[in-house]
Amino acid sequence: MPRFKLVDGVSIQLTADEETARDAEEAAYAAGAFDRAIAGVREKRDMLIKETDYLALSDNTLSTEMTTYRQNLRDITNGVTTVAQVNSITWPTKP
Amino acid sequence: MGLISNGTTIFDNGSMASGFSDDLKFISKATASASLSVDITSGIDSTYKEYIFMFNNIHPSNDDITFHFQANASGGSGFNETITSTQFRATHGEDGSSASLDYLTGADQAQGTSYQLLAGSVGSDNDQGVSGYLHIFNPADTTFVKHFFGAFQSIAHSNRCNYQQVAGYFNTTSALDEFSFKFSSGTVDSGDIILFGVS
Repeated sequence: MPRFKLVDGVSIQLTADEETARDAEEAAYAAGAFDRAIAGVREKRDMLIKETDYLALSDNTLSTEMTTYRQNLRDITNGVTTVAQVNSITWPTKP
Repeated sequence: MGLISNGTTIFDNGSMASGFSDDLKFISKATASASLSVDITSGIDSTYKEYIFMFNNIHPSNDDITFHFQANASGGSGFNETITSTQFRATHGEDGSSASLDYLTGADQAQGTSYQLLAGSVGSDNDQGVSGYLHIFNPADTTFVKHFFGAFQSIAHSNRCNYQQVAGYFNTTSALDEFSFKFSSGTVDSGDIILFGVS
């Protein structure tokens, strides 16, 4: 199926060279799918851990439930090697 | 009917006093429709020292992709100018979770020639997409580099509100007269890109 670009408001069909270049761009982007997905998981994990960091200060004693929650977050990427696994991650519930 | 404020006439029978309304000049509007890219290749020259692109509900065909841009120098070939840039993001989920403010290490460039990321992880649902603006300063100058900065609100595929501020410069003293906007995959399903010059 031909693709089109919009140049100054006019829709123009891609040349064969442009189609090839775009295919390569999209292939490269697709190849990075797992890296992007796992980066998103790490980002969310880090934010969730940060939210409870104040409970781990030296003048406070972490509950067993909170210790388990934070450890589960740290382990969230263990054994995850595919995008499908990333998408099926079950996040622990904050106690 | 007129409007007079503190003795100064602002409107007089439908005419606006000088110094008002005339500084932002509409140049063009491009409405995408399953467009792989939206390229603006006319209307950017030495007429204005600042140009503003407005992005209105830019919607991608594909999910979880980035919206980005590049420029082409006058007489050059390809959108591949040298960029150094910086970017940060404020984010917050629809479920109220995980609000944060972060520098985006994956979204900046150091003398790179890739398309510059403007909004990341954009979702393709109907309640997702991108809006924002981008300023380009003195693109026709042939002595100095070309500064840019912009702000984009997007809704991520993970139902997060992302506000991204991007800034940087094209490290070239050649005039820039063509700009290209596209997603990392798929097409710009719909949306408007409106170009203004600032006189």
